[in-house]
Amino acid sequence: MKKGFAVVAALVLQVCFIVAGLSAENIKLSFMFWGSPAEDTAIRKALKDFEAANPGITVTPLFATYSGAEYDAKMKAMSESDTLPDVGYFGGQFYDYASNNFFLDMTPYVTKEGIKNDYLPQTWIMYQNKIVGAYTAAESQVVYYNKKVLQDAGVPLPPTDYAKSWTWAQYVDVWKKLTIDKNNKHPGEAGFDPKKVVRFGVNHEMWNQMLLPQVWSNGGDIFSADGKQILIDSPATIQVIQDFADLRNKYMVMSSPGLTEYNSTSKVDPKVLLQNGQIGFYVSGQWELLDFAGMDFPLGIGALPIHKNPAQLYVSGINVIFKATKNPDAAWKLQKWMMTPDKTLDLYSKGLWMPTKASWYTSKADLDKWVPTKAHPEGFKAAVLDSMKIARVMPPNVRNADQIWSEFINPELDLVWLGKQTAEQGMKKAADKIRKSGLLTGLWN
Amino acid sequence: MTFRKDSLWGWLFCLPLALGLTIWVAFPLGVAVVMSLFQWNMISPAVFIGLGNFDFMFFKDHLFWNSLWVMFYYTLLSVPLQLVTAFGLALMLNTKVKGMGVFRTIFYLPSLIPVIVSTALWMWLFNPQYGLFNLFLDAVGLPTQEWLTNPDMVIPSLVLMSLWSVGNIVIIFLAGLQGIPKELEEAVTVDGGGAWHRLRHVILPFMSPVIFYNLVMGVIAGLQIFTQPYIMTNGGPANASLTYVLHLYKQAFQFSKMGYANALALILLILTMVLSLIVFKSSNRWVYYEGDKK
Repeated sequence: MKKGFAVVAALVLQVCFIVAGLSAENIKLSFMFWGSPAEDTAIRKALKDFEAANPGITVTPLFATYSGAEYDAKMKAMSESDTLPDVGYFGGQFYDYASNNFFLDMTPYVTKEGIKNDYLPQTWIMYQNKIVGAYTAAESQVVYYNKKVLQDAGVPLPPTDYAKSWTWAQYVDVWKKLTIDKNNKHPGEAGFDPKKVVRFGVNHEMWNQMLLPQVWSNGGDIFSADGKQILIDSPATIQVIQDFADLRNKYMVMSSPGLTEYNSTSKVDPKVLLQNGQIGFYVSGQWELLDFAGMDFPLGIGALPIHKNPAQLYVSGINVIFKATKNPDAAWKLQKWMMTPDKTLDLYSKGLWMPTKASWYTSKADLDKWVPTKAHPEGFKAAVLDSMKIARVMPPNVRNADQIWSEFINPELDLVWLGKQTAEQGMKKAADKIRKSGLLTGLWN
Repeated sequence: MTFRKDSLWGWLFCLPLALGLTIWVAFPLGVAVVMSLFQWNMISPAVFIGLGNFDFMFFKDHLFWNSLWVMFYYTLLSVPLQLVTAFGLALMLNTKVKGMGVFRTIFYLPSLIPVIVSTALWMWLFNPQYGLFNLFLDAVGLPTQEWLTNPDMVIPSLVLMSLWSVGNIVIIFLAGLQGIPKELEEAVTVDGGGAWHRLRHVILPFMSPVIFYNLVMGVIAGLQIFTQPYIMTNGGPANASLTYVLHLYKQAFQFSKMGYANALALILLILTMVLSLIVFKSSNRWVYYEGDKK
């Protein structure tokens, strides 16, 4: 009798354990993302660490490429077939999805944990007063240069204080001095042959967000704050676009245009050109630091040129939790994990991202975790990190912005870069067409 | 009884193809026709808008006519050049030279390379500053070109690239050439005719059905050109390489205008049918079939 009771008790206990085990191990999440091979590795490691710290939760990494519209197309197919991931990066048409209630409202979690103000104010993405997404990281624009090239050419190194940088004209002067043809002549000198240039002064990325810091610095903009006006034909914006075009067409300090709709893989990597001393400066995103860390040459960092006032860009992908998730609590845990730089330190210390957590910009203890690494050269703090104080986001909620850029602005910019029309002609034409297109319909909010 | 059994087998053998065509071709086509009447972004419910998509296409979409032009320009330039190049290669590869197998392999090899890979390769060749083409032009003292970055050059550059992979057309031509009765060519020689006469009066008439086939396939492929501009230029510079299918793709997947993209696809289907029909109709005048009583 006693024995029988013991057996039953053991069985009951066992069943309890199995049930508990099942419920504990039952939580399966998926995380979808894009990125370079290095980002892929780092994200997978972060997910593994999350699993280790949260027994009972397994995370399936779903990697998809982000070229053209492939990531978005995959997202759409997944939304149609009800196979959306639980958490992940989100690409285009964010507000189409937000307005169709695809994203989990993170507000209750953020409020409950009281963490809203622990992050940079730009971080949270709102729709109808709810937090429906969070920027994956903080990323910005950086002026890179090859120190040896500058020293050999006898030009001064650019300042690193973002608020007291060189003006655009001062930078152009230096870029002119660095540009030489095969007979050692500079642009403007008699006999200079622009087709036989062995070193260009600069390579400036030209895709749309890369133009913004200078546009803002000059007091210009692309859209009005309410998203109902197009401002590309305002004098301040036109002037900056003409300045960019002049780099190639007037001053001849930059090689062929980086055409706006161009796939970036089609270019010779400017990082390699910088390493080889075939360009003196390279202006691109701060994420290039990840690759630069693996290249062996004296990399320098300067503050962005100033047209009128210092300006900086805050750019990043967006992270969301999908409403279709069966485990919202676990999904939030994962989302928060990915937003906690301590947990995903490699992504920051190796140069790919800057944290969204505010204290990581101010507290010495936190700064020491990620800044004094090989990936962050001297000057990074003054020129880039500190400039995040003034960094602006290109408003993600202007309706049809993607189509307006792609179908109207970029084609005209191409012709401006090629010198086939002035910035004024191109931007006036584009602005007229945009106003007639009916696409300027305000903001998602 | 046996009749019924035979017919059962017949149906059974037809079934995979019939099912495949129904499920993968006829059904999506039907859906596309229906969806072309809707405004639909795939994530919110579709809204019926009648012929609104077509109204937008013909009267408001400034890129529709542009992409149509790019598509025809590419097709008109590439198809004749591809046919002539492939035909010339096939003629050369049909001669009796030692090691012909090696030559045939070499000229066919590019067709085996995936489009993505060959496209990436050509982007390097076309690079304005470091590309092989410009280094060569510069070395022989000719002006260098902005192959993919000049709106006037981008389509000719894509056509040039398409000539690299004519291997499949060459194979079909080669098979056709080997079917030409040797005695007819010999008869021309006996009558004192040269290579030109053999080509004009024997080879071309005999090859006309093969040319016809390659022409139809070439036109259809030309109208659908997508991968190369998608990878190399994404339609730029200034929409000069925005082909019809690339425009369609962007509407569907970049801007979520799925209904409009369906309407575009429908128009492309009709255009392709009309063009094929014209080529077929014209074939009575110039295609010769052996044994045809005419």
